[in-house]
Amino acid sequence: MMRLMGDRRIALGILIAIAIVAMGMISPYFLEAGNLLSLMQYSSVVGLLAIGQSLVILGGGGGIDLSVGSMLSLSSITFGLLAVDAGWSPWLAALGAIVAGALLGLFNGVLINVFNMPPLIVTLGTLYLYGSLALVLANGLDINGFDRDGFSILGQSTIFGIPTQVIFVLIPSYAAVAWVMSRTRFGREVYETGSNAIAARISGVNVKWTRIKLYAISGVFSAMGAVVTASWLLNAKSTAGVGQELQAITIAVLGGIVITGGVGRVSGTLLALVLVAVLNSGMALAGVGSTYQIGLLGVVLIVSVLVRHKSAIPSSVP
Amino acid sequence: MTTHSESVVERPSAGLDSAQKISRNLLLARRSLLPFLLVVELIVFTLSSNSFLTVGNFLNIASDATEVALIGAGMTLVILMGGIDISTGYAMGVIAWLVAYLNGVQTNPVLILVAAVAVGALVGLINGQLVAIFKIPSIVATLGMSAILQTVLFTLWDKTDIFSGPILEGLSRQSKFFGIPTLVLITVALYLVLYWVTQKTVFGRSMFAIGSNREAATLAGIRTNIVRIAAFVIVGVTVALAAVTYVGRVGVVQASTGGSITLLAIAAVVVGGTSILGGEGSVLRTLGGVAFIMILQNGVVLAGVPPLWNGLMIGVVILLAVLLDGIISRLNSDQQGSLA
Repeated sequence: MMRLMGDRRIALGILIAIAIVAMGMISPYFLEAGNLLSLMQYSSVVGLLAIGQSLVILGGGGGIDLSVGSMLSLSSITFGLLAVDAGWSPWLAALGAIVAGALLGLFNGVLINVFNMPPLIVTLGTLYLYGSLALVLANGLDINGFDRDGFSILGQSTIFGIPTQVIFVLIPSYAAVAWVMSRTRFGREVYETGSNAIAARISGVNVKWTRIKLYAISGVFSAMGAVVTASWLLNAKSTAGVGQELQAITIAVLGGIVITGGVGRVSGTLLALVLVAVLNSGMALAGVGSTYQIGLLGVVLIVSVLVRHKSAIPSSVP
Repeated sequence: MTTHSESVVERPSAGLDSAQKISRNLLLARRSLLPFLLVVELIVFTLSSNSFLTVGNFLNIASDATEVALIGAGMTLVILMGGIDISTGYAMGVIAWLVAYLNGVQTNPVLILVAAVAVGALVGLINGQLVAIFKIPSIVATLGMSAILQTVLFTLWDKTDIFSGPILEGLSRQSKFFGIPTLVLITVALYLVLYWVTQKTVFGRSMFAIGSNREAATLAGIRTNIVRIAAFVIVGVTVALAAVTYVGRVGVVQASTGGSITLLAIAAVVVGGTSILGGEGSVLRTLGGVAFIMILQNGVVLAGVPPLWNGLMIGVVILLAVLLDGIISRLNSDQQGSLA
């Protein structure tokens, strides 16, 4: 199993190299610093959503989070209301938004694990609920006017040519989660829960609580995505996260997170994120519209699962 | 690696009777949730708007509901077996574009209908193959398919909205048959057919068996792969019908056509009371779910509530419906299934 995971990450690495060379040939502009920069700015938000998605799927039990986009929207509006209507410092409001995200994820987790509700439908319900709540709270309008206390630094500045949100949010997030998943007791419990919940429970893991925490973490990352978006675009939109759940799921699955849980590494998710970002950016430069990128993502999603099937691990996927 | 049965709730046998009683009461609550909500809805909207409780408005609601109702009927079959189809919305968009285009170049209506059904069935066949033969979880396979179809629609649309009349006179919004809109008659006919298929045929019983326990169904000699693929093909056909009625009813196809219908159809199935864990449900319940959602959308507008609130109410009702399901299944100490 470990060897196969290694294979998946090596395969992704090779694909990334091929994609970069190919895109560089299509458009010389591709390899310029400015382009690579904007490429990473775009991807950091969906990259954050993909971490949460990966964790929720790893926890098993049909785990999936369709509500990440709506959690992003609602956290974004929470941020806007705190920073503008309540007059908080944007940095404090960002903290408030993250707490809100954690609560939204916690609500998902509790419904799913305490009341035995299927994750797909709970998060479909909260996709509607949170998305609509964001619209209602903002009255359907964008919230502007929180460019204070140097808040735009997070989303608009660079350090040594690398966007600040990549250095201070995206990379630390992946590093922290990778460390937690491979070096801590919680990480081991997640893998045990995801691969065999009964065995995990017998060996003393609190399966339900472990999974609840994963949904809350997914909420936290969605809210971080909201904060990064707000700082980058300097407005809080009630539709900020619409449709992002598809990308997050695709990137997680492409990165080798097996949809039935227990198998996969977030480092794979990160590589998949880079691959998708390179493809998107290259296609945009080649003058291909963003909707084609969605189609490509669909093809990549299905093919990556097919390939996994061919390399024949789980014959008993439900 | 994979997990099938996870939570086996252990309970002392002494408490069995009272637990069963609670379970029965909850089941009753679950069954009466939808009728109750419908009555509340009717009362609230009747009080808040004069134009709500009129024959004309209800015929409007019924016509508007056509696509969600048709797709919801097909979706019920897939959900009955513990699966899901996310791709229906954009599949409808693509087929609607095809219908409008063919109609624009004066193709014979029968040919258009055949072409639409063929494309719908083909999409369903591919989805079914991916899920049943290649063992890709249905949510992943159809999510991917949905993304592909969204791009296909965008490419076909090519920055030009395409306008078209109905392919047949009877498919317009206005046309009526003995005072009832023909669109409503089509919906009712499809529900009767699918009700008969699910309740009275071997195929229908096979679907319930697969939804309850796929391994047991296989051992009992049911050709599960064929039944599952067939269900996806049926969804495709209902999507094609929805595309034809959509063109007749709305008359224009855009890049976003169909995008929001998938989630509404799934919501209708779940609110109607078909269990997402499979093995329990009926197309007629879905019709109740469709009624609830479409009356809500109509009544909210008439009552002057901003439509921003729509999603909130739909979300709450989905969660309420599934919450009762969850508590019931827990009390019945069913196994918690993971969704394919």
